[in-house]
Amino acid sequence: MSSERKRIVLVDDDDDFAAAVTAFLELHGFEVHRAADGRSGVTLAKMVRPDLVLMDVIMGERTEGFFAVQNLRRTPGLEQVPVFVISSVYSAEPQFKVTPERGWLAHDEFFQKPVDLPALLKSITARLGGGEGALATNPGTIK
Amino acid sequence: MISEDGVRDQETVVVIDDDYAMRLSCHQILAKMGFRVEEFEDGARGLEGVSRLKPSLVVVDLKMPGIGGLEVVARIHKLDPEIITVVITGFATIGTAVDAMKSGAYDFVPKPFSPDELRVIVNRGLERRRLRLDSKRHEQERELMRRRFVTFVSHQLRTPLVAVHQYLDVLKHLPEGPDAVEKRAEWMERCLVRTDEMQQLIKDWLTLAEVEGGALTRERVAVDAAPLLSGLVDRLSTMAAEAGVTMTCQVPEDGLPLLGDAAALSMLFENLLVNAIKYNRAEGRVAVTAEGRDGEAVVSVADTGIGIPEEYRDAVFDEFVRVKGEGAKKTTGTGLGLPICKRIAGELGGVIELESHVGVGTTFRVRLPLHRPVQTAATAGGDA
Ligand SMILES: Nc1ncnc2c1ncn2[C@@H]1O[C@H](COP(=O)(O)OP(=O)(O)O)[C@@H](O)[C@H]1O
Ligand SMILES: [Mg+2]
Repeated sequence: MSSERKRIVLVDDDDDFAAAVTAFLELHGFEVHRAADGRSGVTLAKMVRPDLVLMDVIMGERTEGFFAVQNLRRTPGLEQVPVFVISSVYSAEPQFKVTPERGWLAHDEFFQKPVDLPALLKSITARLGGGEGALATNPGTIK
Repeated sequence: MISEDGVRDQETVVVIDDDYAMRLSCHQILAKMGFRVEEFEDGARGLEGVSRLKPSLVVVDLKMPGIGGLEVVARIHKLDPEIITVVITGFATIGTAVDAMKSGAYDFVPKPFSPDELRVIVNRGLERRRLRLDSKRHEQERELMRRRFVTFVSHQLRTPLVAVHQYLDVLKHLPEGPDAVEKRAEWMERCLVRTDEMQQLIKDWLTLAEVEGGALTRERVAVDAAPLLSGLVDRLSTMAAEAGVTMTCQVPEDGLPLLGDAAALSMLFENLLVNAIKYNRAEGRVAVTAEGRDGEAVVSVADTGIGIPEEYRDAVFDEFVRVKGEGAKKTTGTGLGLPICKRIAGELGGVIELESHVGVGTTFRVRLPLHRPVQTAATAGGDA
């Protein structure tokens, strides 16, 4: 394999949710690193230098995902990393808007739980290109 | 909240009257009371001023050329019903004053009036405004809290459902292969665990609602907590043995009379006992002791388990709170057990206390009022 696989940091406190999403993304050639809370998510991102961050906004009892996003934006080298927020709060109206004042960037996106995986994959690929690794669904294609 | 010190934001009062002398005297009285006063000589200008200045109170003369006082009152009320309007009225227009009150005026002052009369009415009106604004704010805060709570609870209830959905979704996309076989088996197991969790969550949530509504604790009968406790310890001994935990139980031989609902009491102590086993260590111990003194029953459940960190000692009694760490990782739970316990104890006129040392153990102490049965000849004889 010539080029490295794209790296994704997944921050979510539910082990099962994370396991399922990780398996799906790995299947499509991404390298997934997982943290269970906002703070270790930021630490992990500093080490891993991901191409994209998937972040749950409600972890535990607080909306620490928001703080984590703001911390990411203050970290040199991670100011521009796309953050896809996975909102586990169910509500009819969209709870959050992508506006710059809270640290959101135009390329950030929001997803509801359960995540529509094909839609997620489409957005990630649009942002990053393919996972670069062998697509497990089609083991013949190696770039 | 309401201070007389004048430090608070200066309130604005508007006076609308075509009579110059009346405007002047109102202005003097109100300015002396510490208000910022603005005057207008007719209804049109007055209304414009009111919508611009957003005063707390408006004094309006009923009889004015142009837009009449009655109309002014109605429009102010429509603009902002929290603005207090006081109408000034001569004897001839007293009937109109009553109409003005119907269209939203707070009160009226009949001409001629003394400074004190105006002061009293203005103060009363503003007091009422403050009370209304306060209760409106409280109502809004409560509503916000309630909405947040509903959102939060539905999030908690949906979490296992989301996990199961996500597993199934990925399984659907999983290409065949040895890897898939293994994953499928593992994930199916997890799906079952999570649906169980969901069941338990809903069950506990309903229990909590029942305790809240008083339905679970409505029955008040004499319950002897002594056999209830030893029975529970017996029933949980298998679970304890599986966890490698030894249980002891020390209750008064002559019983521990409580007044309450046996099922609710049993649920309260069972939750504490299960926790003491669940959050224990291998070869740990659980000691249940109960005694009655000074009209109070004290039941302690002491364990030699992982303990509860200081910052969690109040929070564990809140809904869905589980201490993050090893305890939560190794066990399943809803975080609703202790809230249920706390409510039951509260409904029965008691409290739960908690003492804990991380890595050493935790003691939950339940204090409930002792039930003194009507003294029979035998017990009365013992006292004599
Ligand atoms: N005896 C105990 N020792 C240590 N931690 C405890 C004990 N009892 C309760 N806890 C902590 O409090 C949390 C809340 O308890 P509870 O409301 O019964 O919920 P659950 O047991 O379902 O998690 C537990 O998750 C655990 O972290
Ligand atoms: Mg429990």
